[in-house]
Amino acid sequence: MASRAAEVAVGVPALTPERSVTWPKRTKSRLTNGLEIVLVESHSIPKFHGELFFRSGNAAVAHRAPALADLTATVLRTGTAKRTSRQIEEDLRSLGADLGTSAGADTSAISFAGLSESAEPLLGLVNELAREASFPESEFERERRQKLEEVKLQRTQPGFLAGERLRKVLFGAHPYADVAPTPKQVAAYQRDDLLTIYRDFYTPENGLLLLVGDFDSAAMLAKIEKVFGAWSGKKPAAPQPAAPANPRGRGVYLVHLPGSVQTQILAGSHAITRKHPDWVKLGLTNSLYGGAFNSRLVMNIREDKGYTYSPRSGVSPLRQHGYFSVSAAVRNDVVAASLTEIFYEMDRLRSLPVPEAELADAQNYLSGVFSMGVATQDGLLSQLSTVALNELPDDYLETYRTKVRALTPDDLLQTARKYLDSPNLQIVVVGDRAQIESQAALFGDLEVFDAQGNKLSA
Amino acid sequence: MNRFQLPVEHTKLPNGLQVVVAPDANAPVVTVGVYYKIGFRLEPQGRSGFAHLFEHMMFQGSANAPKMQHIKLINSSGGTLNGSTHYDVTNYYEAVPSNALERVLWLEADRMRALKVDDENLRNQRDVVKEEVRVNVLNQPYGGFPWLDLPPVAFRNWANAHNFYGDFTDLDAASLADVQSFFKTYYVPNNAVLLILGDVKPEEGFALAKRHFADIPAGPAPKFADPAEPEQKEERRGDVLEKFGTLPAMAIGYTMPKRRTAEWHAMALLDQALHGGRAGRIHRDLVLEKQIAVEADGGIDDLFGYNGPTQMVTRILHKPEYSSAATLAAFDEVIREVQQKGIGSHELDQLKVKWRSDYYATLEGGAMPKYGLMHLLACFTLFDGEPQLVNSILEGFLAVTPQEIQSGAQKYLRNENRAIVFRKPEAAAPAGKQEAA
Repeated sequence: MASRAAEVAVGVPALTPERSVTWPKRTKSRLTNGLEIVLVESHSIPKFHGELFFRSGNAAVAHRAPALADLTATVLRTGTAKRTSRQIEEDLRSLGADLGTSAGADTSAISFAGLSESAEPLLGLVNELAREASFPESEFERERRQKLEEVKLQRTQPGFLAGERLRKVLFGAHPYADVAPTPKQVAAYQRDDLLTIYRDFYTPENGLLLLVGDFDSAAMLAKIEKVFGAWSGKKPAAPQPAAPANPRGRGVYLVHLPGSVQTQILAGSHAITRKHPDWVKLGLTNSLYGGAFNSRLVMNIREDKGYTYSPRSGVSPLRQHGYFSVSAAVRNDVVAASLTEIFYEMDRLRSLPVPEAELADAQNYLSGVFSMGVATQDGLLSQLSTVALNELPDDYLETYRTKVRALTPDDLLQTARKYLDSPNLQIVVVGDRAQIESQAALFGDLEVFDAQGNKLSA
Repeated sequence: MNRFQLPVEHTKLPNGLQVVVAPDANAPVVTVGVYYKIGFRLEPQGRSGFAHLFEHMMFQGSANAPKMQHIKLINSSGGTLNGSTHYDVTNYYEAVPSNALERVLWLEADRMRALKVDDENLRNQRDVVKEEVRVNVLNQPYGGFPWLDLPPVAFRNWANAHNFYGDFTDLDAASLADVQSFFKTYYVPNNAVLLILGDVKPEEGFALAKRHFADIPAGPAPKFADPAEPEQKEERRGDVLEKFGTLPAMAIGYTMPKRRTAEWHAMALLDQALHGGRAGRIHRDLVLEKQIAVEADGGIDDLFGYNGPTQMVTRILHKPEYSSAATLAAFDEVIREVQQKGIGSHELDQLKVKWRSDYYATLEGGAMPKYGLMHLLACFTLFDGEPQLVNSILEGFLAVTPQEIQSGAQKYLRNENRAIVFRKPEAAAPAGKQEAA
C-alpha cells in the first residue's frame, strides 16, 4: 500500500489517433516429408532469423536423466558427417551467421541468424546439423565434463536454486520437476542416449521451421524444398505422464546458502497452459499484479518500500501444465515484510474489483507491448513461434488486442481468484538460514534444504 | 557490395540540445532516447556510484510529473522504458506506439527542465540501488567480475579506477544537495542529445522537439576532469576473493587505443579474432581444444561508446586441476601467436563478414527496437558531432589489413599494457578429486 497519496501529472499531452498494427502475411506450407514451414518477410535489415524446432525436449526423456535433450543439442553442433567442429564454427563466421542449439522441457531447437545474401549455405548447414550430426566421442566427453562444472556452479546461484526447488515442489513426480541433473547423473550420461534422442526427436514430422527476414517468400520456399526435401523421419510417440498433484495449503521451503547477504524469494502455484481460454485474462491480471514496471507489486515493494530492485511476476506456460510465480531478491531483514506485501497485493486483486482507469492503463500496456514485436525480425519470430508451437488460431496476433480490451473488472476478479492462488502458494526462500528462518516459518510449514538438495533437519 | 544505409537527420536547437531523427515507417512504433554526456567515470570523488544513483532519481519526479507518474504514463501508453549508466554517457529511453510520441517528449522535457525530488525519494532509491548491487554483485557467484574488479588494478586515475556501482558508505553520504548540483551541472540541454527513431517524419520530430525542449535554458558548458592515465610501464596484478563460486577465475585486460583511430579499427577486428564466440581463438584454444577452461570469453566493452581509457578484457573460469599459472601460460600462447604470425587474410575476410552482419543486428536492436541504432547515433553525436557516422563507420573496419592487426597485437597486447585479476574461491574444493567417469 502506498504510504503517500498518489499525485497526478499536470498538462500531459493526449495520445494522438492510433496507427493500426499490421501483422505481416504468413506463408505456411508443409513439405511432403511432414516438415511444417512458416515464412514471414520483414525487410528492416538485410538479414534473416530462423528457428528449426522439434516438438520434444527434456521432459520426454526425463525417465532416463534430467537435461539429456539439452546435452544432445549442445553436442549436435560439434561435428557432422562432412564437417569437424572447428569447420562448423568457421563456416558460420564466414557466412556472417550466429547459431545456437538448445532444448527446453518441451522442445529442442536450432536457432540461427544470418545475412540474406548467404541464406542458402546457412540453411544447408542447419540441414546438415539436423540430419547428419556425428556426435564425436571426444566432443561428447568434453561437453559432459563442461556440464559437470556447470551443474556445480549452478548450485551457488540463488536464482537457480529457487527455481529448481519451486519446480520440485509444484511438479513432484512429473518430468517438469527436475530442471537440472546431479553431478552423478551427468557422470552417467552415455553417448548412446544422445544418439537415441537425436534419431527420435530430430525428424521432419516432428519439426517446425520458422523464418523471418529480408527475403522473398516464394523464392525462400523453393530453397527450403531443395535443402530439406529429401529428409525423412517419423514423429516420435509423446509420453503422457500423469498430472502432478496440485499442492494444497501454503508450504515454505528454505534453501540454505551460507553467507548470503540477500534473500531470493520465489513463490508459485499451478496455473494454465498457453492454449487455455483464460490465457489472455491471466496475462492481463499478471500485468496488473507484478508483470509490468507500473504494476501494484513493483510500486509497493520497490518504489514505496525499497525492499528490492527487481520484483516481478509471470506465467510460465509449459506445454502440459503452466504455473504462476512471483519473485524478488530482498534485504535479509525484510523477508517477512516482503512476503506480507506479496500476499496483500494478491489478495487485494482477489477481493476487490480493479478500478476502470487502472484496468484501461493495463490494457493499453499489454496491447502496446504485444505489438512491439512487429518492429524487429526477432520480435516477429518470437510471436510466430508462440502461435505455431502452441497451435493457436491463425488470427491470434490480429485479435489479441481486441481480446485484451474486452476484459472487465469482473473478469479480472474471477481470474485472480482462480490463479493467483494465495491460499495454496508454495514459497521458496534462498538465503542464510540463521538470518531468515524465523521470518520464513511464519508463513507455513517449513522444510529446509542445503544447496545440494539434501533435506536438513528443521 | 550494396551498402545498407539509414536515413538520419540532425539539428541543434538554440539552447544547444542536439536532435537526431531516423525515420522508419515500417511499424507504428517509435523509440525515444535522451543521452547526457556524463557517466560513472567522471562522477564526483567521494561519491562513487553517484551517477547511477542519480539515474534512478530521474524516475522519481519532475515539475509536472510527480513520482510514479513517469512510469505510469509510459506503461499506460503501451510502452516500455528504462535508463542505464555507462562509462561516459547516461541514457533514458522509451519504446512506445507512435501515437504516444508527443507524450514521451513532454515527459523527457519535463525532467530535463526541472527535477522535483525529496529526501524520501532519495532514501527509497538508495535502498533499491543497494539491493541492485546485492543481486548483481555481492550475492552472486563472480558478481562484478571482472567489470568492477579490474579497474582498480589496471588504472591509477580515480576516474577510471573507482567502484562504479558505489561503496555503500558513499551511497549513504549522497544528499539531496548532491542530486540537485549534479543535475544543474550535467543535465543541461547543451550536454545532451535527443533521439527520435522509427515512425516519425523528420520535420514532425524536429517540430515536436522544438515545442517541448526549446525553452529549457542552456547552462554553462560542464567542465570535465581529465581521465588520462599516466603511462603504464609494468604488468599489474591483483587478487579478489570469490565467496560463492566453485571455480578459480582470472581476467586479463589490455588498455586499448583511442576510439576512431586506425588502430581502434584494427583492435576491434583483432578482438573478434580472439573473442568471437566458439570460433574465437581464445575459446577455441582454452575451452574446446586444450580443455583447461570452462568459460573463456570477453571483448572490448561498448566499443563505440567509450571516451576515456578502456580495456579489452578476457574472462576465464578454469578447471580446478589447472593452476592459475598454467592457465595464464595457455592464454599467453594465444596472444604470442597473433603477435608473431598475425592472422591470415582468409580469417580476416571471415571476420569482416561477421562484423558487418553483427553491425546490422546492432542497428536493429532486440527486445527494445532500435536500441543499438539509438546508442550509436547518441555516441557519434555527443563525442564526434557526426551522427551520419552510423552510415560510414563500417568502412573503416572493412579496410583493416593483416599488417595492421599484427602491429596492433604487438603494440597493445604487451604485458606492460595489461592488468590481471585472479578471483579465487574461498572454499577451495579439493582439486580434481570427484572426476566424472
